[in-house]
Amino acid sequence: MPKVKNWQVQREIEYPFGESRPKRQWAIVFDLNKCIACQTCTLACKTTWTSGKGQEYMFWNNVETKPWGGYPLAWDLRILEKLGRQEWSAKGEYLGKTLIEAAPPTERVLHFAPTDEDWMYPNVGEDDCAGGNVDGGSHLGLPHDKWFFYLPRTCAHCTYPACLAACPRKAIYKREEDGIVLIDQSRCKGYGECVRACPYKKSMYNPYTRVSEKCIGCYPAVEEGIQPQCVVNCIGKIRVMGFINPPWKAREDNPVDYLVHKKQIALPYYPQLGLEPNIYYIPPIHADREYLRQMFGPLVDGAIERYRQLAEDPVAQGLLCLMGSTDRIMHRFAVDKGTALGFDDKDTELVRVPVTETVIVREPYDAKLGAIRNNTP
Amino acid sequence: MQRILPRFSLLLALAGALLLGCSPSSSGPEPLKELTLRRAPVDLSKPDPDAPFWKEIPEGYVPLMAQPMISPKPASNTTEGVFVKAATDGTRAAFHLRWKDPEKSEAGRLGEFSDAIALQFPVKDGPPPSIMMGAKGSPVHIFHWRAQYQRDKDHGKPDMKALYPNGSIDMYPMEFKEAASPPAAEAEKFSPGRVAGNPQSYEKTGVDEIIAEGFSTSSVQEGNGSVAHGVWAAGEWRVVIVRPLTIEGGSTLKTGGDGNMAFAIAIWQGGKDEVGSRKCLTLNWTPLKVK
Repeated sequence: MPKVKNWQVQREIEYPFGESRPKRQWAIVFDLNKCIACQTCTLACKTTWTSGKGQEYMFWNNVETKPWGGYPLAWDLRILEKLGRQEWSAKGEYLGKTLIEAAPPTERVLHFAPTDEDWMYPNVGEDDCAGGNVDGGSHLGLPHDKWFFYLPRTCAHCTYPACLAACPRKAIYKREEDGIVLIDQSRCKGYGECVRACPYKKSMYNPYTRVSEKCIGCYPAVEEGIQPQCVVNCIGKIRVMGFINPPWKAREDNPVDYLVHKKQIALPYYPQLGLEPNIYYIPPIHADREYLRQMFGPLVDGAIERYRQLAEDPVAQGLLCLMGSTDRIMHRFAVDKGTALGFDDKDTELVRVPVTETVIVREPYDAKLGAIRNNTP
Repeated sequence: MQRILPRFSLLLALAGALLLGCSPSSSGPEPLKELTLRRAPVDLSKPDPDAPFWKEIPEGYVPLMAQPMISPKPASNTTEGVFVKAATDGTRAAFHLRWKDPEKSEAGRLGEFSDAIALQFPVKDGPPPSIMMGAKGSPVHIFHWRAQYQRDKDHGKPDMKALYPNGSIDMYPMEFKEAASPPAAEAEKFSPGRVAGNPQSYEKTGVDEIIAEGFSTSSVQEGNGSVAHGVWAAGEWRVVIVRPLTIEGGSTLKTGGDGNMAFAIAIWQGGKDEVGSRKCLTLNWTPLKVK
């Protein structure tokens, strides 16, 4: 089997096809410290793409509560358990096996197949309090141990997709122009191999059309220079979509490259699975560190450390202010004299925002009008 | 009689046996050496596994084994063999196939797969192509029946309410409860497989006609009038697949036995999650003669 370079695990991995990176790679960065699980992204996606028959249960974008939630049920625990112990070196090289390297002789990818019921109850019970004695009322102690965080997820349009590797009909392809991974709707026969193989469970079977479907990265928008629906509709402005380069081609003025490669505060999730997923997370600083190491790998501690120090970094602050400030795809950003600017692929300015909003203090009494000011319209 | 067993197939059989640590149905009945399509004075346009004339036609046994070449493969040899008999009415060829399957699986909901059988024929004269769905330049012609297609044929393609009786939905796009809905074509736009014209997404009539030139290449063709009917009872499928003897651009079964005619079979047990390359199949072509 060919060996390909996977920078996220800092080594070569086995993959059925040779290394063939797209000209540009679609990517989203999520700041998990800001996600409030309002599910606006989920519904933006749902109403755009999956309102038809057979798509009732589908959420190409979903938000789940970690560590309790999972859509489908326990997708992460079940594949991690199958993979067994996952060791990293101190420098960030993954020492264990990836899903393709760990595949049994009769399979292409180590996988588990979710059942019908596993998909049916997204978010049910995820945020309910569990455990602990609440006699006489529950209270928050410090440091609190009932940690959780929200994890919004789309297809990661992996550099080495397991779905693509597993499809016996070669009905799945990765687009050269933007790295978006698509299922050819005219060629798929609904074998469900991609549903089994994708560890993130972002391929889904449509029982009405009898073929499988997945997040399409909003490619019709991306082709027009517009970010996906889940990104532009994000209330909390926690997301930015752009194009990521591998570290050896990283550009400091590319928003995604900056967050992932330069500042190294955004990390891929479950990189040990070996697919080089292209959704990146700024990890939640208050969640359990052992859990975060399992999810984001050994670089998570440094990422959190650097995130905590953002107050001292006007450039990174500026970039975070640009997140959610434009519907268009930013190919370049700059921060100049307290203003952050985003530019498109022709280097035309898309947006400018103040890094620190001007604070205006209004006295409660308006002497000129002789009236009390209040905030009630 | 000419036995068609190219060295390649023999090697495959041996390799497969070694891989799986078993030989194809060593304990089963004597394998069929040649299948003869007997002339039957009946109308084969309506396939019926219980038609009386089938009782007059001798039956042969074709052993199968777990597909050994391409991953993913079945973990074990789920279907040991299939009993075959065949007839012709002069224009059509009918194949009567029966095999053990402890449960009827028609697919439908998520994670469910269908029982199925495929009959494969070489397209060109001369030595038969690779039994593994042909090869580039050496196509095969496949007639693929699924229990799921049979259900479509018997009861129509199930809608979501039939698949999930307890499911509820506010509304589907372009389908209004209290107002006239736009033409159905408007609602179809929300079914990607159908918009893309995928044959899989439409109601089936029993059997798909497929041309393939190797694994991963199968492509459903416009039908040439092939029909099929299957009945499951007491742990056994009995399926009749009827095809025209001559199919332009596909395979042709000639009277007199010219052209090194042969067939191969693959079977899927949906209840064992078999689908795609997870199947049991014949590892050598069985010669075919039309009387």
